[in-house]
Amino acid sequence: MVTSATRGAGPFVAPAAILSLLVALVPIAFILYFSTMEGTSVEPFRTILKSSLFHRAMTTTVVVAFWASIISLVLGYIVALHLARQTARRRAALMVLVLLPFWTSILVKSYAFTIILGREGIINSFLSWLTGAQVALPLIFNRFGVMVGMTNYLTPLIVFPVLASLLAIDPALYRAAEVMGAKPIRIFLTITLPLSAPGVLAGVLSVAVMALGFFIVPALLGGRQDLMLANLVDFYTREVLDWNIASAVGVTLFALVGIFAIPATLIRRTKGRIAS
Amino acid sequence: MTSGKSHIIKDWRKRCLQILGTGLAFGVYLFLLAPSLIVTPVSFGSKYELKFPPASYSLDLYRIFFSTEAWTQPLLLSLRVALSTTVIATFIAVPAAYGLVRFNFLGKKFLLALIMSPLVIPSVVFALGIYLYFSTLRLGGTTLGLIVAHTMFVIPYALVIISAGVQKLDPNLEFGAMLMGAGRLRMLMTVVLPQLYPSIAAGALFAFLISFDEVVISWFLAGPNTTTLSVKMFSAIQWEISPVIAAVSTILTAVSLVVCLINVALQKGGEQSS
Repeated sequence: MVTSATRGAGPFVAPAAILSLLVALVPIAFILYFSTMEGTSVEPFRTILKSSLFHRAMTTTVVVAFWASIISLVLGYIVALHLARQTARRRAALMVLVLLPFWTSILVKSYAFTIILGREGIINSFLSWLTGAQVALPLIFNRFGVMVGMTNYLTPLIVFPVLASLLAIDPALYRAAEVMGAKPIRIFLTITLPLSAPGVLAGVLSVAVMALGFFIVPALLGGRQDLMLANLVDFYTREVLDWNIASAVGVTLFALVGIFAIPATLIRRTKGRIAS
Repeated sequence: MTSGKSHIIKDWRKRCLQILGTGLAFGVYLFLLAPSLIVTPVSFGSKYELKFPPASYSLDLYRIFFSTEAWTQPLLLSLRVALSTTVIATFIAVPAAYGLVRFNFLGKKFLLALIMSPLVIPSVVFALGIYLYFSTLRLGGTTLGLIVAHTMFVIPYALVIISAGVQKLDPNLEFGAMLMGAGRLRMLMTVVLPQLYPSIAAGALFAFLISFDEVVISWFLAGPNTTTLSVKMFSAIQWEISPVIAAVSTILTAVSLVVCLINVALQKGGEQSS
């Protein structure tokens, strides 16, 4: 290995350092500053703690993020398991089916789901045609719509880490287990599942971090009762025009995300990859 | 005899599970692709109603999109912002990637955490912070403000891709060049940069797409004259479910498809070289 130099990094990292100090650190300082009324009081936090709107948004955020992460994990695991069993060539081809949704704008997805799930949307029209009666299932502007939109966005993010850990499993283990007479389900439970745990954990934590901060999907596919903390930040900033309260909600959301982000970074660090 | 029979049953059972797994997987693929698959035919449909599958096909929606100023202005702004962001972010991320991979220095971890923070901080929190900050600087509602905020937002993505490229470089080539008398700048320009072009191109491409698709920060910073295409689309979906959005969505999906194919090509290239 080549020893890394300890001097001379300055010119390389200076622009990035200046930018991130000015445009990442200062904005965070601004939120903290506003949330504490210029550092003088915790009144904004006291106000939101008393607000039933905040309580409901907080509960919604945690519950929705939890279930969206779990459902995405199940869906993502199914796909990763399928991809892991393909030849490298076929896997590369099938990967497009995961990468295209991964790169698709969240607005496109939300819009498409309004067409699919709407009152006169594809699913309801199809069911009406099938049954011959007017079917108008409420699939959108409620918790269900939010879940569909979020899992659609988050599932690809589970596939990548889980696939990586599935591919790292030594195929000899499977052969040995099979020779010893283990049934497929037993092989899955005793080899595949435990050995893919690092990927699962990394995937679920990073997905949970994203899910907690969701803004677009609840705004477009959720109803009034599905406001999440991110929507509350927007609501206080634009409708109520109370920057102190908006910042206090933002700080709370940030802290909530921190609970999941810290273990996620620790896991990544133990993998020993820089900036990955 | 009996062992042979049990073997067949086992094989049969395994086969069933495999078919079940494949079926489920294709169900999920379909779910993931459904939005793109639905939006495309709708965008070639009628301008009067949203229908799937459309009763007749035409290019009406695209014609409306490209001839309505309320859509073309945001499109041009998005392109301008995304291009500027890409150029600035690349010029910052390339040296930063090299510096962070090749050097060890005090505060490196802190700096890395700070640069990568937009990946972890919820965009709404980041957006609110920048909104409050830029309001005091009178940068709110300006194109410059959008470009600065987007640059910070896309740098983590560009940095991840470009530093992966730097990590694959052989440092001995760099030592060799310097040993032969090349100055540091000459070594960087003639040895490091040419090898990095594919990663830089990929990083720049992703930076462009992320800036172009970004909604939340742009939503907070948007002024009357600085509505990006994504912000326009966001409010259009909320207030008027116009079929024109299907055309915009299809254009965005096409851009995503290009980026995704390049992503696949790069992954293949990476596998071959390692």
